[in-house]
Amino acid sequence: MIVTVTLNPAIDKVYWVDSLKICQITQEEFLTRATRSSTSAGGKGVNISRFLSAFGMDNVAMGFVGGYTGHVVVRYLQNKGVTTNFVWIHEETRVNVTILESGRDHSPNLINELGPHVSPEELGRFLRKYRRMVKQALWVVLAGSLPPGIDSGIYGELAQIARDAGARVAVSAGGETLTKALGACPYLVKPDTREHQLLEGKPLTSTESIIAAGQHVIACGAEMVIISHDVTGDIAITPDAVWEIDAKVPTSEFKNLVGADDAFLGGILFRLAQEAPVEESLRFGMAAGIASAESEKKICEDHAKVEAEMAKVTVKKL
Amino acid sequence: MKVREIMTKDLTAVERDVPVRELIFILDNAEMPNVPVVDDEGVLIGFISEKDLIRAALPGYFEMLHSASFIPDMNQLASKLAEIADEPLEKYMRSDVLSVTEQDDDLRAADLIIRKGVKNVPVVDGEGRLVGRVRRIDLLRHFL
Repeated sequence: MIVTVTLNPAIDKVYWVDSLKICQITQEEFLTRATRSSTSAGGKGVNISRFLSAFGMDNVAMGFVGGYTGHVVVRYLQNKGVTTNFVWIHEETRVNVTILESGRDHSPNLINELGPHVSPEELGRFLRKYRRMVKQALWVVLAGSLPPGIDSGIYGELAQIARDAGARVAVSAGGETLTKALGACPYLVKPDTREHQLLEGKPLTSTESIIAAGQHVIACGAEMVIISHDVTGDIAITPDAVWEIDAKVPTSEFKNLVGADDAFLGGILFRLAQEAPVEESLRFGMAAGIASAESEKKICEDHAKVEAEMAKVTVKKL
Repeated sequence: MKVREIMTKDLTAVERDVPVRELIFILDNAEMPNVPVVDDEGVLIGFISEKDLIRAALPGYFEMLHSASFIPDMNQLASKLAEIADEPLEKYMRSDVLSVTEQDDDLRAADLIIRKGVKNVPVVDGEGRLVGRVRRIDLLRHFL
């Protein structure tokens, strides 16, 4: 069983518009009508849980939820076959908005709320529940941003608890949260480079810098580091190899990039949890990510589509 | 059909030392009329409901009264609730908990819910760990 932790889940609201008008004139307003919209549960761990459930893998989604929006998240996940085990908090779960302009689908406009404040008592309730759950977990996934009130060292603490319980840990986060988690030697590290192209303060701007930063993390005890190179290319660093993962897909075919990165990691974890070789796991993960990017749905749940995308992915040792 | 195919896969639960005040917050926010009690391994050890708390906060002679109007005023209920708010819920939970397993037939869950008049039944795995619950609405949706 895989436990995913999303401390700051969200409702993901996506609007498709012909053209996004931005009002820059005082005392005027522009109305942009959405041609379509969708609502789903979001957050990195939540998206990974969705992918795993779609592919029939037992998993439990954990984190904090609150208010009406919290109920939407929980209900959505249960309808998708995910087992839920959230801590209810006083403040309301956030809403993240994505606006996709016609013809610019591969460059979404994103507005992410900070999220609800989590009190020390609420964190204490979570930790107790978490200690109970990781005893049954093969993998624990710590993913996404932290809500206000949570210390940036939390992923390090959670990773250590999971490791002590015998689970493998994957961390997908950025900035200080990720840097502090590395001290607990997670098995798999996937830096979130959306806001900062950095890992442990080192820039990730070229293939050479990505490999050097990844190998430094491997030297600290991780077994796999996966770093995005560009939209359809990633580099994976393991103790004995460096892998380049590439998808031969034009970005013009992408319809919704939100969640594609999480489907990528979900696909890798899905195969690794089945004890598949690294190369095959990376290939399947990229296929899942590409299939999701080409789908208007955030996470592609179509097994045949993901399998078909495998043929477009190359994984080679550098 | 098996229970695992119709159950709600939610593990919301409390530990026996959780204070009554916190339990009320969970029941309210999770919108659950009752909640399973589990140990540190996730094994089901009890069950506690809104009804159990109301019973705990009402005077002992309440069930002998014909109507709630015989209670002098609601202050009595409020002060008793305030009195027990920081007590561990284990004082008021029921340990004789009904449960079904994932492998049980849906009929067994339906039978318990209908005959015992409970709103939902916890579902446990082979080791007695909580894995979900079957609610009345799960049965209605399933049999429709």
